[in-house]
Amino acid sequence: MQNLTSQQANWLALPPPASPPRWGKALCGLAIALLWLLPFSYVLLAIFKSTAEYAASPPLSLPEGVSPLLENIRMAWEQGDMAQAMLNSSLYAAVGASLAVLLAAMAAYPLARMQFRHRNLWFLLLFAGTVFPFQMYLIPLFFGFQWAELLDTHLGMCLLYTAICIPFPVLVLRNYMQNLSLEIDQAARLDGASEFTLFWRIILPNLRGPMSAVFLLQFTWIWNDMLFSSVLGNSPDTRSIMNALLVFQGSYAQSGPNIMLTAAVLASLPTLLLFVLLRRQFMQGLRV
Amino acid sequence: MNPLLQHDQQLLARIGLAQIKARERARQGRQFRLALRFMAPALLLVTALLLLPVLYNIWLSFTQWQLFEGRDEFAGWENYHQLWSSPYFDDALGNTALWVVASVLFPLTAGLGLALLFRQMPGQEWFKSIIFLPRILAPTAVGVMWYYVYAPQGMLNQMLGQFTSMPVETGWLFEEQLVTPAIILTFVWQSCGLVMVLLLLGLAALPRDPLDAARMDGARPWQVFRHITLPLLAPTLLMVVILSVLAGFTVFDLLWVMGANYPQQRTLSLAVFMYFEAFQKNSWAFAAATAVVIGGVVLAVTWLQTLLQARVDRMVR
Repeated sequence: MQNLTSQQANWLALPPPASPPRWGKALCGLAIALLWLLPFSYVLLAIFKSTAEYAASPPLSLPEGVSPLLENIRMAWEQGDMAQAMLNSSLYAAVGASLAVLLAAMAAYPLARMQFRHRNLWFLLLFAGTVFPFQMYLIPLFFGFQWAELLDTHLGMCLLYTAICIPFPVLVLRNYMQNLSLEIDQAARLDGASEFTLFWRIILPNLRGPMSAVFLLQFTWIWNDMLFSSVLGNSPDTRSIMNALLVFQGSYAQSGPNIMLTAAVLASLPTLLLFVLLRRQFMQGLRV
Repeated sequence: MNPLLQHDQQLLARIGLAQIKARERARQGRQFRLALRFMAPALLLVTALLLLPVLYNIWLSFTQWQLFEGRDEFAGWENYHQLWSSPYFDDALGNTALWVVASVLFPLTAGLGLALLFRQMPGQEWFKSIIFLPRILAPTAVGVMWYYVYAPQGMLNQMLGQFTSMPVETGWLFEEQLVTPAIILTFVWQSCGLVMVLLLLGLAALPRDPLDAARMDGARPWQVFRHITLPLLAPTLLMVVILSVLAGFTVFDLLWVMGANYPQQRTLSLAVFMYFEAFQKNSWAFAAATAVVIGGVVLAVTWLQTLLQARVDRMVR
C-alpha cells in the first residue's frame, strides 16, 4: 500500500510529504541556543555584583549597577596573582605554538616531498607523540625536569609545550604539502634553488591558511592547559593562567563567588576574543 | 651466439645494474641526510620530551620507586597486582567506564540532533557558534563557572525552586550520588559543539544522489535518515565515537576543579586517581603503573579505530 502511494506520488510528481514549517525549527533552535547561553548569562550577571549583593540576590537577578565590576576585576587581578600568570601564558602560548608549527612544517616538508628509505617510519615516530595519554608523560617529565633543573622555569615550560604541539601539525601540514603540485619544486630546482630556499620561499607561503589554523588550535590548547603547569611549573613565577585560576579557586575562602567568576572570565577572555575574531580559521582547523 | 660473449654481456649488465643501484642508494642517502636536517629539531624535541618519557614510565611501573631518593630495584608485576586489589582503583575504573559511556551517548545523540536541526537553517552560523562556544573555554574555567551554577545557593537550585515553588538547596557537587552526573552534564554542555560541528562537516560531504533518489521514491524523512544518511555517515560517526571515548577515558581537568570537595576525590576517574597517587601521595611507581594501564587502553582503542575505519570505509564505498 505504501509502495503504491509512493509510486503514484512519483508519477504525479507530487511534492514530497510536507515538512513541519520552517519557523517551528527556528524557534526550537533559538530555545536550545538560549539554554546553552544560560550559564554564560548567569556569569555575566554575577561579575557586575558586589560580594554582598551576590550573597543577597538570586543568581539570575539583574545587578543594581555596573560599578562593582571594576572592583571585582581589581580583586581578582590582585588576589589571583593574574598579571604574572597572564604574562606566563602569553609567553608559553606564543612561543610554544609558533615554534611548534614552524618545526612541524620543517619536519613535514621532507616527509611529504622527498624520497628516502623508511619515510613512513620516520613519520610514525613523530606522530607517536599524539597517541599516548598525557598521564604517561607526567611522572617521567617531573623527574627529568628536576634532573635537568628545568622544573619551574619558563624555558622548561616553553620546551614542553613546543614538543607536545609538534605531532598534530606535522600530520596536517604533511597532508597539505602532499597536495601541492610537484612541478613548482622541479621548476625551482632547475633555477638552482636550494632545498631550504624552496621550503622557505615557495612551500611555506603556500601553506599560510592551514598553518594559521593549526597555530590557533595549538595556541588555544596551550592557553587552556592546566595539567602540565600544575606538575612542571607550579611556582607563582611560572604558573600558567589556568593553573593560577585553579590555585585561586583552592584558596577562595577570602573572596566571594563573584570574584572567582570574574577571574574565570578574565582568564578566558583572550581565547574568546580570538574565537570571535577568527571564527572561520578555527572552523577550518577542525576541517583538517 | 658465442657462449663466452653472452657471459660477458650478462656480467656487464650486472655491473651496470649494480652501478645504477649504487647511484640510487647514494641519492637516497643524500636525500635522507637532507631530510634529517629538516626533521632534526622536531625529532629531538618529540623524542626527548614525549617518547623517552613514555619508555621511562613503563620501566618505572616495574620498580619500587617511592620518593626522591629512589629505590629503583626491579619489582616485576607487583605494582599491577597492588593496583588490581586496590578498592579505589576499582571505584576509579567503574567511574571511568560510566564516563566513557556517558561521554559517547549524550554528546553523540545531542550533537546529531543539533546537527540535523541546524542543517540548512537560516542563521545557522550563529547557532553553531553559540553551541560551539563552550568548547573554546578551558575546562578549568568551565569548571569554575559550573561550580557556582551547582552551588547550594546557585543558579540551578534557584531555577528548580521557581519550577517547584519550593526552596531547593541541593549541593550538587557534595552528594556522592549526584557529583558524577552533575560533572558529566557540564562535560556534555562543553563537548556537544565539537561533535555537532564534526557531524555537520560529515553531513555536508554526503553525496546527494542517494538521498534524492530515496526522496523521489517517496521514502519518508525517517526512512531516508535511517537507511541512507546514517550508513553514509558511518565513517564520521566512528571518528566522533572514538574521539568521545578517548576524551571520556582521560577526563581530568573538570573533575579536578569541580570534584575537589568530594571526600574521596581519587575515586573520580583513572586520570584523577593517577595524579593523586603520584603528586599527592608520592607513590610514583604505583602511579606509573596506573598511567601504563590508561595508556594501554588508549592504544587499544586507537588500534581498534584503525581496524574499524578501514572496514567502515570499504562498507560505504
